[in-house]
Amino acid sequence: MTPYLAFERVWKKFKRGQTHDSLRDLVPAMARRLIGRPHVEHKGSSRTFWALRDLSFEVKPGEVLGIIGSNGAGKSTTLKILNRIMDPTAGTVRTEGRIGALIEVSAGFHQDLTGRQNIFLQGAIMGMRKAEVERKFDEIVAFAGIDDFLDTPVKRYSSGMNARLGFSIAAHLEPDILIIDEVLAVGDAAFQQKAFGRIKQMATGGAPVVLVSHQLDRIAELCTKAIVLDHGATRVEGAPLDCINAYLHGIARTTPATDSGVKIRFDRVFGPNGQAVASGQEITIIVTGTADLEAAPEGWSPAFRIRDTATATQVHSVTGLQRGIPLPVTGEFEYHLTLQMNVQPGRYTVEPVIWNAISNETILTGPSLPIEVLERLPFYCEVQLNSRWLAPKLAAVPPSADSKAERQSA
Amino acid sequence: MSRVLISTSPSMDPIAPPPTLNVVRRKTSLAKIIAELWDSRDLVVQFMRRDITIRYAQAVMGFAWALVMPLLIVGAGLVFRVVLSTLSNSPIESAGIAGLAAKAVPWVFFSGGLTTATQSLLAHSNLIGKVYFPRESIPIASVFAQLPDLVVSLVVVLIIVPIVGVSLHLTALWGVAVLLLLVIFTIGWALVLSCANLFFRDVKYILQVALNFGVFATPVFFEPQMLGKKGAAIMLALPLSPFIQAMDVAVVRGKSLLEPLVLHSPKGPVVVWEPWMLGYAVILSTILASAGMIIFRRTSGKFAEMA
Repeated sequence: MTPYLAFERVWKKFKRGQTHDSLRDLVPAMARRLIGRPHVEHKGSSRTFWALRDLSFEVKPGEVLGIIGSNGAGKSTTLKILNRIMDPTAGTVRTEGRIGALIEVSAGFHQDLTGRQNIFLQGAIMGMRKAEVERKFDEIVAFAGIDDFLDTPVKRYSSGMNARLGFSIAAHLEPDILIIDEVLAVGDAAFQQKAFGRIKQMATGGAPVVLVSHQLDRIAELCTKAIVLDHGATRVEGAPLDCINAYLHGIARTTPATDSGVKIRFDRVFGPNGQAVASGQEITIIVTGTADLEAAPEGWSPAFRIRDTATATQVHSVTGLQRGIPLPVTGEFEYHLTLQMNVQPGRYTVEPVIWNAISNETILTGPSLPIEVLERLPFYCEVQLNSRWLAPKLAAVPPSADSKAERQSA
Repeated sequence: MSRVLISTSPSMDPIAPPPTLNVVRRKTSLAKIIAELWDSRDLVVQFMRRDITIRYAQAVMGFAWALVMPLLIVGAGLVFRVVLSTLSNSPIESAGIAGLAAKAVPWVFFSGGLTTATQSLLAHSNLIGKVYFPRESIPIASVFAQLPDLVVSLVVVLIIVPIVGVSLHLTALWGVAVLLLLVIFTIGWALVLSCANLFFRDVKYILQVALNFGVFATPVFFEPQMLGKKGAAIMLALPLSPFIQAMDVAVVRGKSLLEPLVLHSPKGPVVVWEPWMLGYAVILSTILASAGMIIFRRTSGKFAEMA
């Protein structure tokens, strides 16, 4: 058996508001229908919406699929259908193998039971046999670091201990297919580090994995492919970095808003050919575009923004206004921008924009370019100052530490 | 460069699936459900242990608590009988008192198990919306959690019956067999009612009303022979009656369930047990449990939305 997971044209409809919730309401409604009176609608009871629209993907062994999307895009619904908590309204879900989910890892805890009892309870809920829990019991306890509180009721645990124990149980599942949702941030910083290490270990273990997270750097690090969900439909699919960029910059904005009167657009962005660059290296970005303006509107200026992909914070920007580069008015144009990537190793995006210096508004955002920066020299602290340290002149040998100490005590 | 697909704005998406697209339904074959439940038997045990631990953790009396409900039923039955006997001027037999105790055992198990099981799914709505596991394990475990009470009260009845002056026979083993059937019967009802209660939140109130009637409609307080020939026939045809009546016949009266039993009443001879009632109990239990599992599984895909 090869573990496998696929969504084939999956649709999911939800009803807003209440459905028939009691027989007391249902019986009169049925009677009314029987005698032919029109059904009295409750306020908003028949309003439905599609949480997922024609969603398809497949995940094979060794693949890690990242699902990106803002709140309400359909990520949780996707996971719930994957995990058999809900059925799709239409379409097919194919799975082969035992599914393990790192979702709501302490949902089954009973507050009055001890940590020990809850390990067995939660383990069973997640599909582990009793013998399996017994075999992994010591590992689970050690990983969670709750040895001293094993026989204390969970209600006396701190929320951190609670989360650690839940994660630790889930982390010892050995599923054929793995589903991970937002549990990456549990406990204190040290435990988060440990938890992420464990997730990485599980995710790269060769099983098909689906990962949902708002921590985009984790998606970039763990996933082999990704999709961006928007209103329940796939908006972008492809390499994780491309998806992250598309998501961060708002998919709708990458197409120029011609109807809003902006007659200028960026066509393509070229960079170091998708290859990683070393920290401190110089790169050249080329942007092409077309303009059809009658005159340069007041305050408009071309600009570039460089963002840290993981956090979406702007690390650098440069405007044509500062550098005396005019806004193109008619015809095709091409800009060359040279950057020295004096930044921390990581993932960055360069985006060309048209910016209104007077209203401080972004008029247009062009297609963005992902850049991966690797470590060349050991990079500590905030900034890269490209320090050069000359060899000392050896004429004056500094006094040794011992003689220095003696002198001070004297 | 990897392939990047950027589709058009949300408004251009289709708003409904094409009608040709069908849904693959959940597996509903009984054999597959039972196989999956057997695979997750450890989960049923864990839920059951949790329920029992929590129930007895706070109770000062421990397992003696298991006797409170049966004693209340026996007490209520006694009051009822005393009133009846003073009205009709006939004495209460010791077998009648022993019978009350024996019949309270299946009744308390059935009503207690069903009451907790009916509310069990709703009580776990949080878990159901978040984690997948075979949902049947919740109502089944809450019926099983009544088993210690059942065993304790049965043992107490077996001790008390000889003390009251009724001798025990080997036929009492029939009583144990019928109680095992009752567990299956109760699970069938529990599966149906627990999911019904998720869709219609007033099911638990309707159940309470039905149980209040049931204690009089089934032979818990009454003995069938008190109702005459026709009344007895109607009472014994009710689905729960064979399980209750069998305790009286096999444990207290010491008769085999494979032979009919006729008792004499002021209105003439009344049939209070017939062998077909045993078959009736077997068939009822099997059908209810199977239908319960299939109905439950068919609707379980909607639980997370209802809960």
